Amino acid sequence: MTRELLELMGINNERLALEWVSSAEAGRFTEIVTSFTQKIKDLGKNPLGVAA
Amino acid sequence: MNIEDAAQLTQSYYCLDCGVCTGSCPVSRVLPSFSPRLIVEKALLGLGDELLRDQELWSCLTCSRCFERCPSSINFPEFMRLLREEATKLGTQPVYSHHGMLQTIMELQTEGINQKKSEWAKEAGKVAKKSDTFFFVGCMPYFQVIFRDIGVDSLSVSKNIIKILNGAGIKPVVSDDEHCCGHDMLWNGQVELFKKLAGHNLEVIRKSGAKRVVFNCPEGYHTFKHHYTEHFGDLGFEVVHFYDLVGQMLEEGSLTVENGASSLTYHDPCRLGRMAKIYDGPRNILQRIAADQFLEMERNRENAVCCGTSGWANCSSGSKQIQVERLLEANATGAQTLVTACPKCQIHLNCALNNLELDLQIKDLTTVLAEAISV
Repeated sequence: MTRELLELMGINNERLALEWVSSAEAGRFTEIVTSFTQKIKDLGKNPLGVAA
Repeated sequence: MNIEDAAQLTQSYYCLDCGVCTGSCPVSRVLPSFSPRLIVEKALLGLGDELLRDQELWSCLTCSRCFERCPSSINFPEFMRLLREEATKLGTQPVYSHHGMLQTIMELQTEGINQKKSEWAKEAGKVAKKSDTFFFVGCMPYFQVIFRDIGVDSLSVSKNIIKILNGAGIKPVVSDDEHCCGHDMLWNGQVELFKKLAGHNLEVIRKSGAKRVVFNCPEGYHTFKHHYTEHFGDLGFEVVHFYDLVGQMLEEGSLTVENGASSLTYHDPCRLGRMAKIYDGPRNILQRIAADQFLEMERNRENAVCCGTSGWANCSSGSKQIQVERLLEANATGAQTLVTACPKCQIHLNCALNNLELDLQIKDLTTVLAEAISV
């Protein structure tokens, strides 16, 4: 639902991710955070311009 | 505005302490700790600080039933609104419903987002970028996503409006750039955000070259007609309610309906009824659709009861109780369908209906109208 709302607001919904990681999955955690950070960097500044 | 000025402006100094307000208040009936009479009394006794730190300020539905009956014509809803503005400055906040999601959307709109929320309109019929008529859709595209799971198809109402307007040869503007009308921000006490939203909307409408703006949402209609003119003066375009336009079309014969709907009753939304004083328009339409099958609830017109929550704030067990009572009242008329004319009444009453075993369905007036159109 949040992704649909973002789309209506003209915000790329790729900017939102929801993942479940168990406390035993350290490797998976770093992998997800690193790849999501990279994805956001590639997407560039958000259209709101509030969070620089 | 300080409490003294607010009391002056809303005539609260004329309070006779008669208690008609509290006796009329749907909230006081279910939450006896809430009392309009006591709020006015506290304000007049100089206990304002206590009031301004109390979240109960947002328990008032601002439904105007007390104002309608007050022998001293004290505008209590407006008094509450002014107090909320002050309380907001002190950091007092209501309990936002839906985790504040709707307020977040409204705030984001003032941050320069480029919305994409009008695809449905192109699918529904013919719309234009510039036209004499602007259709102010309001929050419906967002409601469609948020309230789908309780069985409310908000956009079907907007789609039917486009079809009916098209049928009358009107190709309205539907804009992605339209923001929330600001009604909720205004009544939540966030007047600065209201002004930002309103100023933007006026710019968008003026750019479209529209001479009139059509609303189906009573909140949008009343906010434009009353509060926009209060803050911005002459708007430079006409503010028209869709049902007035439909009434005109039915008179002229450019729109014809079949009389044959099953039994209906009608719930007056507070913004449309007590605030905008539109009682007969919707009833005239229903009379044509369901003539002798149109049944009034016991509490109707000026006496109608609110749908239980307002401004997406302080939705409580009391709200639910008000909604359930209203649904039982509708059911007691023997009508199969409860017709509402406000997207929010539709949502709130449906939310309560989902937990009841009642042989009753809730429909928007536009939906009922669209079903009755004869081709």
